[in-house]
Amino acid sequence: MKDSVKHIAVLVSAGRHPVSGEPRHCHNDSLALALGLNLASKVQVLHAGTPSNPALQDYFALGATQIDVVPNSDDIIESLAAQLTDANLILTGTRAESGEDSGLLPYLLAAKLNVPIVADALEIKANREQLEVLQFLPKGRRRRVLVSLPAVVAVHPSAAEALHFVHARKNLGNINTLHASNTKMQTIIDDSKQADSKQWRAKPARKPIKLIAQTAQTGHERLMAAISNKAKGGTVVNEGNNVEKAQVILRYLREHQLIEF
Amino acid sequence: MTTRINPHRLVQASPADLKHPSNNIKRIVLSTAQIAVEAHPAKWLRTPSKPKSRVLVIAHSDRGALDDHALQTIAAAAILADAETAVLALILGELNDDLSSAAADEVMILPALDFQIFQPDIELASVLAIIELLKPKHIFLPDNLIGDGDLGRRLAALKKLSVATHVLEIDVQHVASAQSGGCVLAQSNLPEVILLAPNAVDAELPFTAKATRIDAPTINHAASPYQAHYQDMGLQTSAAEDIALEDADFIVSAGNGVQNLATLASLASSLNAAVGASRVVVDDGKFPRDKQIGATGKTVTASTYMAIGISGAVQHLQGIKDCRHVIAINKDASAPIVKRANLSVIGDAEAVMQALMIEIEKAKEVVA
Ligand SMILES: Cc1cc2nc3c(=O)[nH]c(=O)nc-3n(C[C@H](O)[C@H](O)[C@H](O)COP(=O)(O)OP(=O)(O)OC[C@H]3O[C@@H](n4cnc5c(N)ncnc54)[C@H](O)[C@@H]3O)c2cc1C
Repeated sequence: MKDSVKHIAVLVSAGRHPVSGEPRHCHNDSLALALGLNLASKVQVLHAGTPSNPALQDYFALGATQIDVVPNSDDIIESLAAQLTDANLILTGTRAESGEDSGLLPYLLAAKLNVPIVADALEIKANREQLEVLQFLPKGRRRRVLVSLPAVVAVHPSAAEALHFVHARKNLGNINTLHASNTKMQTIIDDSKQADSKQWRAKPARKPIKLIAQTAQTGHERLMAAISNKAKGGTVVNEGNNVEKAQVILRYLREHQLIEF
Repeated sequence: MTTRINPHRLVQASPADLKHPSNNIKRIVLSTAQIAVEAHPAKWLRTPSKPKSRVLVIAHSDRGALDDHALQTIAAAAILADAETAVLALILGELNDDLSSAAADEVMILPALDFQIFQPDIELASVLAIIELLKPKHIFLPDNLIGDGDLGRRLAALKKLSVATHVLEIDVQHVASAQSGGCVLAQSNLPEVILLAPNAVDAELPFTAKATRIDAPTINHAASPYQAHYQDMGLQTSAAEDIALEDADFIVSAGNGVQNLATLASLASSLNAAVGASRVVVDDGKFPRDKQIGATGKTVTASTYMAIGISGAVQHLQGIKDCRHVIAINKDASAPIVKRANLSVIGDAEAVMQALMIEIEKAKEVVA
């Protein structure tokens, strides 16, 4: 049932090519756009940042016809939320698996708008007043969840949506810059604690240092630890016939709830 | 006549000799078994007797156990806690393990909040009630996809708490996470909510804790302000052959010692397990390259890894370092895999696999 959800908004950010550093579309957000365009023939595409960013044109190639740009401000969540008060469904990408992004934005938006949020979506289907989401879980597990609308849905990077990139469309879209003045909804005073860019000090990338508990070891203890065989090794079953050995394996699997029979 | 002392005699030093203050002779003693025991001195107990404050660790269990990532998160809290701070582990889902070696001073379990069920509103309400009651200084969660990463973000967003996600580096003063596509390692002071990335902490600790069970407060969900916006329609597990090896939870892996790969394939399908292989088997052309596990193949994180006829060369072991339960079937009890495995069965691969399949069929019949 196409178009059964009114007013779908897709939030897109500007990504960078991992090797060349060239500005380009962000893969996760493109998946969110594709899922949105599956549900409705027209979606609102929203970007917080600079209107002249060349990465935005990629989203025209991917099917957007207009991008509303909210200029950067002190409180991006505030400015975005002001644009989204009427939206029934807000789609975003989930943080990259590699953790290059905090993944907080969809949660902050949902909290601000006081609507539910479902993350790690692989597929979405409109179902009257509700949305049916197929959610990613590790180890090959998937979960179906119904969420009431309006809602925020963050799309998982392995959503199997094919991206249709049409170069000819790249210059056909329209960038609409929204005024900062009409993005102000209200000022929240106790937002000062909220995690934002002010909290962070940027340092060049290096290998992170692992936290290790301090051990007060004497030289002798260290030597012994180094030369003694630390590998614990588990149970070794040498005795018995093959049936008994097989039973030992089965018992182990059951004891640790690794099988369901 | 002088008696010669055999220069090759075994050195007979007892642990007492080494400890005695008057015995200043320093020597390297390799031969006595008792001394090797000394290498692992008893761990000390960290639990503060009169804690003045608490830190909270929240993690979902999976089938009654915590994964390494969750254990690392408890370890981080315990390492950073000072002598007057207690670490409370709040476990969502059943827990069968004792958490004293994980160094949790107190353990609270909410068995109904299993990760398999999507109920973020109820989880959030429960966690908020406990936070309200105990007022922890910091809240630690593993940044994973089985609900803890989600819960931590919901909590921080709703309560406007300072938060750091995907924390790669942590110490008493600061946390650091990657930003701007990994070009920047951004640092911040320790925030209220800390979502730890996997392997940012060594879970090997020189101390233990009491792991005292404390009862959860009664939480009145009906009175909670969180409406039921969500409805769980159930979990589905894909057939093992459709899952990428990196994502599989159960892997049956073939080594050079497997004569009959068809047996191995049917064993894997009766366990609904994915199939992997060692390099030798892949080099022989019996499996495509994407089935190779190890340093030059794939790194897997399955809960269960069954290594059949695999010697366990270091390059292979590198690929399975994060597997929780390793079960080996090998005819050689001295193969290196036996040291790594939690359970090793010494015997012929084909014969044990055949017997195991019969036992599995029997077990399934009883259940059905
Ligand atoms: C640079 C480099 C990178 C490498 N990368 C990888 C890698 O990514 N992955 C990888 O796997 N290897 C890798 N290797 C190869 C690795 O060193 C080993 O050679 C390889 O893992 C051995 O495979 P295997 O255990 O199957 O075979 P083998 O070493 O031949 O061991 C066979 C095992 O089967 C047992 N066995 C034999 N017959 C039976 C029977 N009937 N029943 C039960 N048990 C039996 C034997 O006791 C033995 O333990 C790499 C090597 C190098 C140098």
